[in-house]
Amino acid sequence: MKVKTWLSKRASVPPAFITEAERIAGKDNVSTKECDLIAYSLDYWMYGVFLSQYGSLPSLPSVVISPANTEEIQGILKCANRYKVQITPFGGGSGVLGGAIPTNGNAILNLQRMNRLISLDEVSLVAEFESGIIGANLELELNHRGYSMGNIPQSLYCSTLGGWISTRAVGQFSTKYGKIEDMVLGMEVVLPDGSLLNIKPVPRRSTGPSLKDLFLGGEGTLGIVTEAVVSVHPLPQLTTKQSFAFPSIEMALETVRKTLRADARPAVVRIFDEQEAEGYFAAKEVTLIFISEGEPDFVRPESALISKIARQNKGKPRGEQPVEIWLAKRFNIGPAPTLMQQGWIVDTIEVVSLFKDAPNLYKDMLASMRAVEGSLLVSGHFSHFYREGACLYITFVGFPKDPYRYYEDTWKAAMDATLRNNGSISHHHGIGMWRARFMEQELGTQGLELLRRIKYAFDPNGILNRGKLIENGR
Amino acid sequence: MEDKKALQQVTNCALCADMCKYSCPTYLAAGNETISPQKIARLIVYEDKGLLEDRKGFADVMFQSCMCGSCQRHCIYSDYDLRKFILMGRSKAFTEGLLPDETKKRVKTFLKYGNPNGERKLIQKGTGTIGYFVSCSAYKDEKLLKAMDRIISTSREKVQQFGGADICCGAPLYYAGDTKGFKKAAQKMKKEIERRGLREIVMMCPACLKMMREVYPEVGVDLNVQLVHTAEFLASLLKENKIKVKKAGGTATYHDPCILANDMDITEAPREIITALGYEIKEPVYTKEHTHCCGAPPGSRLGFSKLADQVKSMRINELRQTGADVYVSSCPSCKAVLSELDVKDIAEIISERISHGK
Repeated sequence: MKVKTWLSKRASVPPAFITEAERIAGKDNVSTKECDLIAYSLDYWMYGVFLSQYGSLPSLPSVVISPANTEEIQGILKCANRYKVQITPFGGGSGVLGGAIPTNGNAILNLQRMNRLISLDEVSLVAEFESGIIGANLELELNHRGYSMGNIPQSLYCSTLGGWISTRAVGQFSTKYGKIEDMVLGMEVVLPDGSLLNIKPVPRRSTGPSLKDLFLGGEGTLGIVTEAVVSVHPLPQLTTKQSFAFPSIEMALETVRKTLRADARPAVVRIFDEQEAEGYFAAKEVTLIFISEGEPDFVRPESALISKIARQNKGKPRGEQPVEIWLAKRFNIGPAPTLMQQGWIVDTIEVVSLFKDAPNLYKDMLASMRAVEGSLLVSGHFSHFYREGACLYITFVGFPKDPYRYYEDTWKAAMDATLRNNGSISHHHGIGMWRARFMEQELGTQGLELLRRIKYAFDPNGILNRGKLIENGR
Repeated sequence: MEDKKALQQVTNCALCADMCKYSCPTYLAAGNETISPQKIARLIVYEDKGLLEDRKGFADVMFQSCMCGSCQRHCIYSDYDLRKFILMGRSKAFTEGLLPDETKKRVKTFLKYGNPNGERKLIQKGTGTIGYFVSCSAYKDEKLLKAMDRIISTSREKVQQFGGADICCGAPLYYAGDTKGFKKAAQKMKKEIERRGLREIVMMCPACLKMMREVYPEVGVDLNVQLVHTAEFLASLLKENKIKVKKAGGTATYHDPCILANDMDITEAPREIITALGYEIKEPVYTKEHTHCCGAPPGSRLGFSKLADQVKSMRINELRQTGADVYVSSCPSCKAVLSELDVKDIAEIISERISHGK
């Protein structure tokens, strides 16, 4: 094959495994064709995408298997254990840390044929989906029936429900609707040995440690989520949009802290620093936007409360327009591919801290990343909020002589600054392959060892998604 | 690729996050990443760089798009249409003799008979400067032909009906990558229209309309006539009271033909007709700008029947969920492909309810 691989050479799997996989999933759903191997070689990890334009891919899978249902996945995993074939699950391929890269030339298990709405329970406000459904399709199905799941990440149009669960994802409307762990009530999981685990959907239970939490953020290393039951919300009857400009990031953060402390739960809360505000709204001032939505009787007083608190904290009202602009631009990743073609490195990093650390984390992280040779732009916004703290989301752009060096150094600067300021190294993108190198610093030796023991208790043959989460690319 | 701007555009697509894939009916029906728009773009870029060894495999991917335009409709870039690059890939496949067998057969038939189905009989009825072009997709549908006959005669419009034999818009050649053959077909169609002295042409097939409106000018063939889809023509007949209809009761679901909705942006005229006929419209989840192809778009048939069947089944399931009394479309191919739902053309539901003319 003429395409180059730089992470691992193409592996081969025993022909008997392929024959067996064909018997289970059907001949048409097992492929070793060149075009298929290239298509499933990479997710949306930006450095990998950057190199892909030159025909250089991290790793090609040995085979792509596309099962149609849970039973077929069970069969494939049993077979993989027999032949000691490593498997990488592939959802929407939108992960930004390389979690779906078939390191070691693993076989790809493509979940995209499993993309149906199974049921909607309007009394209990829950819906069941197959895990390969794309977020936008999930929302179209629900919206048509008068509901929304409320999980609207930037990747809505290309990520899957299974991917959201596996990476412990969060959407833009998280302050009201919660994060994926708040939304998933039950799930069906195929364990690495091919056995089936059903976690029934109930609002809560006290039956020992929560099993579903093993898979919320498991990144496909502990099992393959095939179906999930999620909570849904009636579509809002009223939506209000407000924005305010502040003299500093600190004052904007303080406004949000007081707003949440007062029990307001706007759906969207975002603070843009001066640089990002200039890019979005053509106004170089720290900008805070709010979207409140739901029943009018709740939304109106909530909006009034937000406005009062913002003004008390020196927020200058900027009206609805910045919110409208953000809504229009929020999915547009257009500039990144154009910049990459000119040799620029572009990526994002999201971390989280308590409110007390947030201002210092912001300053330290930006300063550290800007100090890396080749850095052109580092900007940030706070995008998800809790009563206790916030997620800081950084975008960086560089035009370095040595792209890999710049990329690695910038990430290291960002992660070190985060840990220095008591933050956590990932808020919602997950770990994947690239961020795994920082996991020991994050969890400590014992924390990482505990995860390893859990992994190998589940998966003694090391079948599922090797080289990710707890294993640094190996 | 000689055109650097074009290469930059398709590379942008290859480096994008596949933000349109949720709208792509072939990707959704097959659940296959390889035929998602961004991966098709990556393969096109790699083919252009000489990085692909399996030329037949690449050609096969190029013929696994139904060319419905949903990716363009939902693209984050303006002035970009992946289909142009897929057509370049198809053109190479045509030149290199790598067409899928099903496509090869249609092209062969076209070259022999002047149409993709081997029709020999010429349709020729009526006189006037308004032409009604009977496409290859409508040619054998007796019910549809009779419905249009009845509407035309009731309205007392002077309409020349023509089609069949070797009169074809050339779409099958265009989508097969035979650029020279397509241009010849377009020039031939222009002569045919001029010979007939037409000022306006009404047509039922969205692909014919797309070819004549959008693609002919791109190959230097300007028809200089007004080009109208039957849905627009029939809606105006109703508005102008040239035909009058008895109101129906019940519910109807309208399936937007992909090319008509995505390329021609005609979604309201058919709904106006359905409402005027007294039906309550029940929309499916995927409708208007979110419509899904039926699996066999006119002229651009998928090169692989199994994939076409998967797309068809997906669409039938989506439509069936509305539980409507009547299913309606405005494309003869969609009507034929979705026959399991007994889909009627917009002309047929009008014809059934005509009370009298002007």
